[in-house]
Amino acid sequence: MTQPISSGCSCDCASTPKKKVLLYACSGAANVAEIADHVARQLTAEGLGQMFCLAGLGAGIPNMIQTAKDADLNLVLDGCPLDCARIIFQNVGLTNVKIIRITDHGIAKAKGVKITDEQVQKIVALAKETLAAA
Amino acid sequence: MKKLQILGTGCAKCLKLAENTKTAADALGLEYQMEKVTQIDEIMKFGVMYTPALAVDGVVKVAGKVPDPDAIKPMLK
Repeated sequence: MTQPISSGCSCDCASTPKKKVLLYACSGAANVAEIADHVARQLTAEGLGQMFCLAGLGAGIPNMIQTAKDADLNLVLDGCPLDCARIIFQNVGLTNVKIIRITDHGIAKAKGVKITDEQVQKIVALAKETLAAA
Repeated sequence: MKKLQILGTGCAKCLKLAENTKTAADALGLEYQMEKVTQIDEIMKFGVMYTPALAVDGVVKVAGKVPDPDAIKPMLK
């Protein structure tokens, strides 16, 4: 489903409270979705947030919507101007959202092409800037 | 009877959420059963990413925060 909760209590009681950042990736079939997925997983591995389930929000699963509502920030990696993730968040009425649209950053949407690490790192860097400014 | 579940592996914030929830439920005069869910795989089934969390009759009302009793009261109704 999603990344597992990190071992031990995920409360911030023992340390300086961290922002609760949830990360969502476009779930489409094109290259931009694959890039979004890699970016979200890398940011999770680096401890900058926790990848969460866009499909769960789209399905209207109440517990998952509540989790997204209670996050400090939901960082959304939309693939293209169809803006599926943006619309999902609008539909569930959440506004604690920052959205990055991958095709806005010099990456054309295509199917059947290999993504590059350069493309992934470009969006990782952009995501980090967005998180730092939030 | 309301089923109140505190999701979390048992640190200070989890305990505080349980305490505040009990205070709120008692103030409302609710009949309730409180359970602590501490196993990660069971917590994940609720679809939460942050703990502590409070579920009322299986529905998560808050996750990753410890509201005070007055803020919890509407969640229990």
